[in-house]
Amino acid sequence: MKKQNFFLKYKSFTFFSILGILIILTAIFAPVVTKGVSPTEGNLLFGLQPPSAEHIFGTDKLGRDIFTRVIYGARTSLSATFTVVIIIFLVGTMLGILAGYFGGWVDIVIMRIADMMIAFPGLVLAIAVAGILGASVKNAIIALSLVSWTKYARLARSLVLKIRNRDFVAAAIVTGSKTPYMLFRYMFPNTITTLVITAATDIGTMMLELSSLSFLGFGAKAPAPEWGLMLNEGRPYIQAAPWLMIYPGIAIFIVVVVFNMLGDSLRDILDPRDE
Amino acid sequence: MKNTKIAVGLLTAAAMTAGMASTAMAAGTLNFGCQNYAGGSVNPLFQESSAWNAMRYGVTEGLFKFTDSMEIEPWIAESYEVSEDHKTWTIKIKDGLKFSDGCDLTASKVAESLQWDMTEGPNGQSRPNKYLEYSAQISADDETNTVTIVTETAYVNLMKNLAHPTMAIVDVADSTEPEHAIIGSGPYKIDNYTEEVGYDLSANENFREPVPYDNVKLLYMGDATAKAMALRNGQVDLVENITNVGDIQSLMDDPDYTVDIATGVRTGFSWVNFEGALGNDAVRQAVMMAIDDETICTSPLIGGLYNAGCSVLPSNLEYGYDTLVDPYAFDLEGANKILDDAGIVDTDGDGIRELDGQNIVLKYSFYDNRLLKEFSQAHHLYLDMIGIGIDENESDSETCWSELENHDYDLSNNNWTTVGTGDPTAFLSNWYSKDANYSSYSNEEYDALYEELQVEMDHEKRVEIITRMQQILIDDAAVLVDGYYKSSMIYSKNVAEAHIHTADYYWLSTEIKPAE
Repeated sequence: MKKQNFFLKYKSFTFFSILGILIILTAIFAPVVTKGVSPTEGNLLFGLQPPSAEHIFGTDKLGRDIFTRVIYGARTSLSATFTVVIIIFLVGTMLGILAGYFGGWVDIVIMRIADMMIAFPGLVLAIAVAGILGASVKNAIIALSLVSWTKYARLARSLVLKIRNRDFVAAAIVTGSKTPYMLFRYMFPNTITTLVITAATDIGTMMLELSSLSFLGFGAKAPAPEWGLMLNEGRPYIQAAPWLMIYPGIAIFIVVVVFNMLGDSLRDILDPRDE
Repeated sequence: MKNTKIAVGLLTAAAMTAGMASTAMAAGTLNFGCQNYAGGSVNPLFQESSAWNAMRYGVTEGLFKFTDSMEIEPWIAESYEVSEDHKTWTIKIKDGLKFSDGCDLTASKVAESLQWDMTEGPNGQSRPNKYLEYSAQISADDETNTVTIVTETAYVNLMKNLAHPTMAIVDVADSTEPEHAIIGSGPYKIDNYTEEVGYDLSANENFREPVPYDNVKLLYMGDATAKAMALRNGQVDLVENITNVGDIQSLMDDPDYTVDIATGVRTGFSWVNFEGALGNDAVRQAVMMAIDDETICTSPLIGGLYNAGCSVLPSNLEYGYDTLVDPYAFDLEGANKILDDAGIVDTDGDGIRELDGQNIVLKYSFYDNRLLKEFSQAHHLYLDMIGIGIDENESDSETCWSELENHDYDLSNNNWTTVGTGDPTAFLSNWYSKDANYSSYSNEEYDALYEELQVEMDHEKRVEIITRMQQILIDDAAVLVDGYYKSSMIYSKNVAEAHIHTADYYWLSTEIKPAE
């Protein structure tokens, strides 16, 4: 029997991967896509111009080209989102594995901290943290990371607990395997599939939360091209110049949908329950 | 049985009466949307903005009131007399006035209120001593209903100073909660305050004339679009100062709404903190030259709601604006040259010039009101072009004020009334180095002229002094002027008439009446 090509077998994954790569390439090559137009330079005399051949998404109140800002916004949004997801994936997984493997007071301390974090609504706690630290993309990343690692820790812990008392683990310990080896060779591989799926589906959520923080004034600061911030700046003009909100809104919508669908299709491939 | 019928009939009649009363009450309610200043406080001594709040909400009144030509007319006072040396002022109080709690508004009560300003003033931020020195001797004669004020300093016209909202007359003894329940003699009294929501006001039944509305629901709306939308969907009948160009333009074009705009006496300007990088002459001069205020004011960003200008005093006042010379008019190349010549260059290629080895990144504080945010962002756009970085620091008016007081800023954008007492002396005191001095600015000639201004009684000479003081501030690049603001009142067909006054202290008054 002829083996089916992986990309043809998983059409949904292939399609959304291509879209995801296109978005990432657009962000990387933003200066080329926007033909060298600066996202922060504007001309006040050309402020609030509706979409036209010259400015396909129109201009904002400071006469900046919205198309350019939306394209550059992908850089800020994607880099911040991937940073958050990587941080919470690594930190959460590591802490969860430690809690599950060692048990006892290590488990109690890590899990009680996680419980404390979960007790608050995520975004509200993030707003509080970002409010204390001050508005910036870096602080928004810290705030979201602080409140979002718990999911990975709890998942990793439960996955580790499933195998912690299995015979092969006991056998490995008896045969002299050292703790770091146990953690990385036995525990980590058993968690990775589920956690990668979780991370992939989290990309969209984190992007929305980062945009929310910027929209509320706790994330990116003007004049940075960031979609949440652009929505905030366009809000007073929602009636007079709706294009200020429409295009950043569409950008958020497209990117979140693409990465959510990519996460879903990745889950379809990796999740053993579907086999 | 008959008794029962009578009882039922009476109850029905009572219910109908109650229903009619309720309808009448609803018809007599004005819904007013406005900006929240000073955290909603109405204590005249807490902050200058809170003093304004109390007067704007129609709760307090002053001894005198400003006309639209910034002259004074009697309000609580009937008349006054002044000694030749301008140090003894005798004020006749109108007979038969009452505070909203029913207490008689007598000369003693007026003296008590002014005395309160003197004793409690140092504990607040309103600085009533800008209007009346703390050492003033205040006495009252209830027989003749006169108050006598004796000062050490000669005032040009103390009555204009006493017309300022900070010096409003309040019932000190009964205002046990001055922050949100001050008692005054205005047409409305405070019934209830809800944090961040607003005030419930009702007609002062002790007011000397009929009050047009039974109730006023005063709602805080910080967002210009929210004000416009609330007005359009009927949530409010009247709003002040919609500063969103698109919204105000569409309301002006809509026959269902009336927009009353006045070229007032407000200047939008950024304080320049001399303690930071802006203490450097070249940096300051370059900042002034880099900004094209004419283009900003006429651009769609500001939409002509400000007139451009270079002085802290509006060009429409009588203080010699046309004779002023601006050596730092817009010239981008000139701005770059000043910095280059001073050796303030970008050595590390990050696009920002360095001063003493540090990138010049100015902390620009502002709040979203009267287009201050838009001006600050436009300034940012221009300053980027000469390699001066800006850290935009948007907050609320209270935080901005606190930063100003603590000198925790480089540029701080504000919009202030310049002739709050019908004369710019108090406003110009902001750059007098021996006073509050929010910007740490100091110029000996300016200080001397300010001191001369305080004792000079001749009008022509005062104009000369004030003109020179303006020129000094321009020459020293001491203030970054946005422009001169036009205030507005916008109302629906539910309101017969409303007017924005030049002085901008009087929002809710008996002039605002329901439509027939």
